[in-house]
Amino acid sequence: MKKNWWKILTVLLLVFTVVAGMLSEVPRLAILNETIRNLYFHVPMWFGMILILLISVIYSIKYLRNPTIKNDVVAYESAKVGILFGVLGIVTGMEWAKFTWGEYWSNDPKQNAAAIGLLIYFAYLVLRSSFAEQQQRARISAVYNIFAFAALIPLLFILPRLTDSLHPGNGGNPGFNSYDLDNRLRLVFYPAVLGWTLLGIWIVNVRSRFELLRQRLYETV
Amino acid sequence: MKLFRILAIWCFILGTTAGIQQVQAQPGQAQVEYSSAPAETDVEMADTLRRDGKIYVVVVVLLTVLVGLIIYLIMLDRKVGKLEKQFKDDLIKQ
Repeated sequence: MKKNWWKILTVLLLVFTVVAGMLSEVPRLAILNETIRNLYFHVPMWFGMILILLISVIYSIKYLRNPTIKNDVVAYESAKVGILFGVLGIVTGMEWAKFTWGEYWSNDPKQNAAAIGLLIYFAYLVLRSSFAEQQQRARISAVYNIFAFAALIPLLFILPRLTDSLHPGNGGNPGFNSYDLDNRLRLVFYPAVLGWTLLGIWIVNVRSRFELLRQRLYETV
Repeated sequence: MKLFRILAIWCFILGTTAGIQQVQAQPGQAQVEYSSAPAETDVEMADTLRRDGKIYVVVVVLLTVLVGLIIYLIMLDRKVGKLEKQFKDDLIKQ
């Protein structure tokens, strides 16, 4: 039970996110209307993706320094969960965009960059599955994973800010200023980010343990 | 098994598109009669869930989905934990 306190925290944070996210007071803005509540469900997908992919990169670096099966498995599983969050982020973003920007896909710089970033990570999955030999697969995909993360950061955080974008916080001004995010939103937004990210880490935890068990079973048989 | 899955996904897609079309086909009805309109009478009823545009119903549904998924994840977690324990015991025995 001592080791599982963060799982209880995850549940509490997510329940809080849903209840407070639906019922709390939000700024009354034109066009956005009540869809501003998507801030608690769409944006945390991207924050969660970046944080979980960061875990993946850390384990990839750890693998290159110390090649154990555990480091490889955690890097791979967290990359997969990160990609899942990214896909959910892009789909929820399209749904939201349809009713506020008018189109599912309006070639917004951040939309395009996010799509390119996801494609880079899909290539990681393809690359990984193309090796039969375990050590070769682990080493080369670890190197590629570092490259993919290094490419994702400018794609999501730098390039969209250099041009005009429909996303808030782009076109020169930093995000999270007093216009974009007032304190009532922050009160639910930060717990939401933490809750969704912890949920992703939980899934990574279960999947990695399962995968390690499977590999140990093959070793003993 | 795979065929069944593809079939299920197709049924779902067709169902949702049909549902969306139906929603779009309906003209904007100005007046909708609710069987449980709370404001009409002074009789005391448990109207909490129907207040504020019935947003509480959405909260209940979202919570149900979330709790269902979390319970599923907890069960998966415990299954893997049990397997881990069994594996460790087997290693000690050997």
